[in-house]
Amino acid sequence: MSAVAVALEGKDVQHRYGARVGLRAVSFNLTAPGVVAIRGANGAGKSTLLRILAGLLRPSHGTTDFRVSGEAISPPSRPRWVGYAGPELAFYPEFSAAENLQFAAETRGLADPDASVRTALERVGLQSRASDQVAALSSGMLQRLALAFALLHDPPVLLLDEPGSHLDEEGKAGFEDLVARERGRRLVVIATNEEREWSLAERWIELQGRGLGDPA
Amino acid sequence: MVLRGSLLLWIAGWMVAAFLWAPLVPVLGETTRVLYFHIPVAWVTVFALAWSMVHSLLYLRRRNMEHDHHAMAAAEIGLLFCVAATVSGSLWAKAMWGSYWNWDPRETSIFFLLLVYAAYLALRGAIDQDERRARLSAVYSATAFVAVPFLMFVVPRIYFTLHPDPLINPRGKIDMDPRIRVVFFALLAGFTALYFWILSVRVRVARLERRSQEA
Amino acid sequence: MPSDGLNSRAAVWAILRKECRSEWRTRYGLNASLLFALTSLTGVSFAVGRLSDRTDILSALLWIVLLFSALASLSHTFVREVEGRTLTLLRLVASPTAIGLGKLLFNLLFLLVIEVVTVPLFLTLMAAPGPRWPAFLGVLGAGSVALAAAATVVGAIISQTRGRGALFAGAAFPVLLPVLAAAVSGTRAQWSGGAVGPELRLLCAYAVALLAASLLLYDHLWED
Repeated sequence: MSAVAVALEGKDVQHRYGARVGLRAVSFNLTAPGVVAIRGANGAGKSTLLRILAGLLRPSHGTTDFRVSGEAISPPSRPRWVGYAGPELAFYPEFSAAENLQFAAETRGLADPDASVRTALERVGLQSRASDQVAALSSGMLQRLALAFALLHDPPVLLLDEPGSHLDEEGKAGFEDLVARERGRRLVVIATNEEREWSLAERWIELQGRGLGDPA
Repeated sequence: MVLRGSLLLWIAGWMVAAFLWAPLVPVLGETTRVLYFHIPVAWVTVFALAWSMVHSLLYLRRRNMEHDHHAMAAAEIGLLFCVAATVSGSLWAKAMWGSYWNWDPRETSIFFLLLVYAAYLALRGAIDQDERRARLSAVYSATAFVAVPFLMFVVPRIYFTLHPDPLINPRGKIDMDPRIRVVFFALLAGFTALYFWILSVRVRVARLERRSQEA
Repeated sequence: MPSDGLNSRAAVWAILRKECRSEWRTRYGLNASLLFALTSLTGVSFAVGRLSDRTDILSALLWIVLLFSALASLSHTFVREVEGRTLTLLRLVASPTAIGLGKLLFNLLFLLVIEVVTVPLFLTLMAAPGPRWPAFLGVLGAGSVALAAAATVVGAIISQTRGRGALFAGAAFPVLLPVLAAAVSGTRAQWSGGAVGPELRLLCAYAVALLAASLLLYDHLWED
């Protein structure tokens, strides 16, 4: 797959949760391909920023501009171009891992859902657990499933919130291989406080903020 | 300050005129006096609902919190006026026809409005986050907007055929005598102005609350 | 690359299939709702008895049982997504409109399943006179579509608040009242030999208006 030209720009993006500041004003300009890491204290807004970029959250101030091959993509349409995996991403417990991905692939309207699901599972090393019920998967397996979900539709942008959490050594090594493979083809944005993941990036965004429960 | 005082004097003055100066409507007898209060108050109820719904739609369009303040304030005031209209209407019904509640078209309509107001405010009360509260209550308001024409005009007609009651609606006969008309419209204007006054205060309070939170 | 956008019939059908499969696997939703419908029906029948001659009361009771069953059941699709935290997944794979439509179709199907069980039982237990089937089913169908349309959008709103069952009933009731009135009137008309045209038209108009409004509104429902 050849790289798709993607530009992600943010101007003074900030978000408040009522009286609390969730994300202080931040501006950035990112282009694909490459790896970007976002760092900040707990509560500084890493997850908030990723959710804004994914089109899941409308920021209370500021604007984001997402362009694919020069064309602007409005926030409601962003999920199509973005592969998101974060801690609040949960799967349907009554379905198996493969069935969850199958549902995602069919709903997204992928041309060959079965093939996409197989490929995604192989990429994260979950093929042997594919037909296991999600309720029976460990947190590490679920993390891999989340990564598979993010890769499923072959998006030009990956937004990964603490991707290494719950992963064992083998999982973390697998993740680093994945990033190494993808860095030439996609824009990979990682929100993390882990030194290991931080060092995978070529560009960094440091979020200012004093922590959870801080009333600005 | 002067404006507020004169508004209160206006309403009070015309209320006195309603008792001392305007004549009675033959069919209604002494209960004529109620119409000077009940109908303007009912009018404000509907007007406030429209105000609230329009601002809800404007909020969804423009995402300006000012519209949410208006939507909320208009709903709160509308609820008060709605209760006043329902109670005054019920008392009037008792005096005129001997029973407090008959489910005739007008009574049914005002009761439905009460339900809509109550549901809207109950919904707002169940959401803590400002933006989410503004957005979700606006969506509900827009949904109720579809229901209201059906509730106010169509359903009462159906109920009327289900419970036929040969009740005469006296509304048609009222605007005959010029003195009645004068008092009526004066109080209509007065109550509408009262609504706007309370609205502006309530909106200002909401705005200040939000600003102090954001500071 | 995805071939369709997020706004597609594929998404609506996929969501409907998922809901059906999910309901089939867990089934506690349908069981509880059927139990509720049968309980209210039993209560009514026990309290009132046979009512062959009072078709006006029969109509009202039928629709009250259906209304209560709808209020008890139709918010569950959204509440389950919120409680299971799967809403994020859903929002990432489908547009809000597709989600709304998929859930609406599921709610309609759910309601129809409840009706298939409840309505014949009602007619039998209450010793109702034989209905004029085309008119009866027409009112039932149009009323069900309107019920489902209103309940789905209100359910989507309520699922994001602190309030649950009671608030859903309170918020949905004003929106459902026109359906109740027209459906009761129409059902009564078909038993008393009158025309159901006006009520049927009203139900259809209301259903269409609600659908149109909700299609525009779903985009604003999930933004955080």
